[in-house]
Amino acid sequence: MNKLWLVAWHEYQRHVFTRRFVLVGLLSVPLVILVLVGLIFLIFSLDIDTTPLGYVDSSGLLANPVAAPAPEWPDKPVPMLPFANEADARSALERGSIQAYYVLPVDYLSTGGLRVVHLDSLKASPRAQFYDFLTANLLRSTDPSIANRLVKGAEIIIQSPDGTRSISSKNWFNVLIPIVAGIAFIIAMFSTGGYLMQAVVEEKENRTMEVIITSVSPNQLITGKIIGDTAVGLSQIVLWLVFIVVPILVFRNSLTFLQGIQVGVQTLLLLVFVMFPAFILVSALMAAIGATVSEAREGQQMVGMISLPIWIPYMLTSSLMSNPNSPLAVGLSLFPLTAPLTMLMRDGLTILPAWQIALSSAILVLTAVAAIWMAGRAFRLGMLRYGKRLKWREIFARQKA
Amino acid sequence: MSAVDLSHITKSFGPVKAVDDVSFSVEKGELFGLLGPNGAGKTTSLRVMLDIFKPESGSVSLLGGPMTESKKDRIGYMPEERGLYQDIPLDRCLAYLGSLKGLSSAEVKQRSATYLERFDLTAYKTKKVKELSKGMQQKAQVIATLLHQPELLIVDEPFGGLDPVNTQMVKDLLLEQHQKGVTIILCSHQMHQVEELCDRIVLIDHGKVMLYGNLQDIRRQFSGHSVTVRTGDRIPTLPGVERIEPLNGTVKLHLLPGTAPQEILRALVAGNVNLDQFEISMPTLDEIFIRVVQGKGEVA
Repeated sequence: MNKLWLVAWHEYQRHVFTRRFVLVGLLSVPLVILVLVGLIFLIFSLDIDTTPLGYVDSSGLLANPVAAPAPEWPDKPVPMLPFANEADARSALERGSIQAYYVLPVDYLSTGGLRVVHLDSLKASPRAQFYDFLTANLLRSTDPSIANRLVKGAEIIIQSPDGTRSISSKNWFNVLIPIVAGIAFIIAMFSTGGYLMQAVVEEKENRTMEVIITSVSPNQLITGKIIGDTAVGLSQIVLWLVFIVVPILVFRNSLTFLQGIQVGVQTLLLLVFVMFPAFILVSALMAAIGATVSEAREGQQMVGMISLPIWIPYMLTSSLMSNPNSPLAVGLSLFPLTAPLTMLMRDGLTILPAWQIALSSAILVLTAVAAIWMAGRAFRLGMLRYGKRLKWREIFARQKA
Repeated sequence: MSAVDLSHITKSFGPVKAVDDVSFSVEKGELFGLLGPNGAGKTTSLRVMLDIFKPESGSVSLLGGPMTESKKDRIGYMPEERGLYQDIPLDRCLAYLGSLKGLSSAEVKQRSATYLERFDLTAYKTKKVKELSKGMQQKAQVIATLLHQPELLIVDEPFGGLDPVNTQMVKDLLLEQHQKGVTIILCSHQMHQVEELCDRIVLIDHGKVMLYGNLQDIRRQFSGHSVTVRTGDRIPTLPGVERIEPLNGTVKLHLLPGTAPQEILRALVAGNVNLDQFEISMPTLDEIFIRVVQGKGEVA
């Protein structure tokens, strides 16, 4: 086996086949997602109150009422109870057998005015369900399919002129998918880079460097490490995806909102041609930092120089979202460190021209290659500097490494 | 053909010339000593030799030409700054280092088992390297250096940190490798060890070659500065003698520069001193070393 791959495999297995990787690297993000989702459902379920709602109808609109369409899961239907007069409704409210009651006056149809009486705060869901119930009854003489459409509302689909991309107003989370994917990528990127920087510094700290360097070339060593640690990060992403995609597929039929989730071709292209070289670039830069410092702690302080530009697009979210094709957005899409997030943020909002994807990818690939070269050179110059930091200008100085 | 040939190597770090016009050759199958005080430029010379550092001038020929990636598999290097992967088990560490030298996993397994047995480390092979004692790590480093059966073995201060038993074990191992025809460069400042093992040496000080050649020739070159005399008579005051030093029933006469031992012999005979023994003292490498680095020797 080529020595480069031996180095890569060594790096991979020393990080992946450990308890720490399984507990922290793999399970942390899915657990956080699980806890977040659990919390959301908990908060939502605490908000669900199926105690009936009462109504006193003086308008006659709710005589022989028809039921409203059932609310979407996880919301639960709230029974609607008619009362002959407000005194009965009031005593039911005080007994706690209803959570609130509505009073529809005689002239409701002409004025639209109605009263709601409740002792505790009335939550959004029962309020919405009563309005759906009222709407359904107002439309009872209309064609049921039209009535149903009016109650459920329209699904606005924004489509690009060439028809290649469309975004549904109901599937708003499809805009979020690229952004979430970007965050996941960046977390994996920095954890990978952290492994790599640690690995390079560790070899200096342990004095293993001199032994290794007389077995493989510095370039083979650094490239092998970058490949190995990138594979660690990609494994992390793949397994996170498994943790996320499998439950989606399993619950797809029971949870209707999951059915609209889809990952477009453009997103996949960006992940492969933009995020992957960006991943390599960040890994190589982190390796270069590791090669210049003599202690891991020192390296951590320098990581900010890379992480800050990476996160800049998030700081400019409102500007990028309001005008995803502005010169600023295009510029950030082409600058190597801001490209990954800018591209993914724009992905959900606009059609990215092919030339921008190609150019951004090409710039990233070239920068990644240059970063690997720089890491290799820093590695070669700094590998035997024990206790003394390598200056960046030494890397670019015209001296033999 | 020389196994190693360094020709007029110069390497500086900033304003400091670590190695200054160093040249020497190591013959195939030879056990060669690279000597010098701390900071003399020995390790830098080795690093230039191994292509870790590029020299500003001069050339290096290693196993018949410049260093290549494939040649790295034929060289075993044990640096002074010892290092092994601390967080992985010893057997995995050896397997990795062996594989980087081109060994198959079966070869690594079989050879490391033999060496681990020989160095009493079999019971510790599944332990993490950081859990081993310093001495055990030293032995593990020796195993990692020899595992791929190198043609050229370069060991930098191999006895540092070893107890007498393990020092002897490493010494025996070096001699065994020497007998097998392996070319060995032993870099050390421990003169007695080099004296015991090497036939030829180069002594570097302040980055320059101070002495180079056959050890016996060098000792002969530095002999004549003292003579050992055994006699029952009192030694008279002799011209050309700087100092008289009693030594284990004998007397060592330290001569002034320019005084020949024959002149002392003539003076003793002329002074009717009954001699039981008269011998030109051969200096130890330690003595030569001190004289050279203190500026009393001659530059080769």
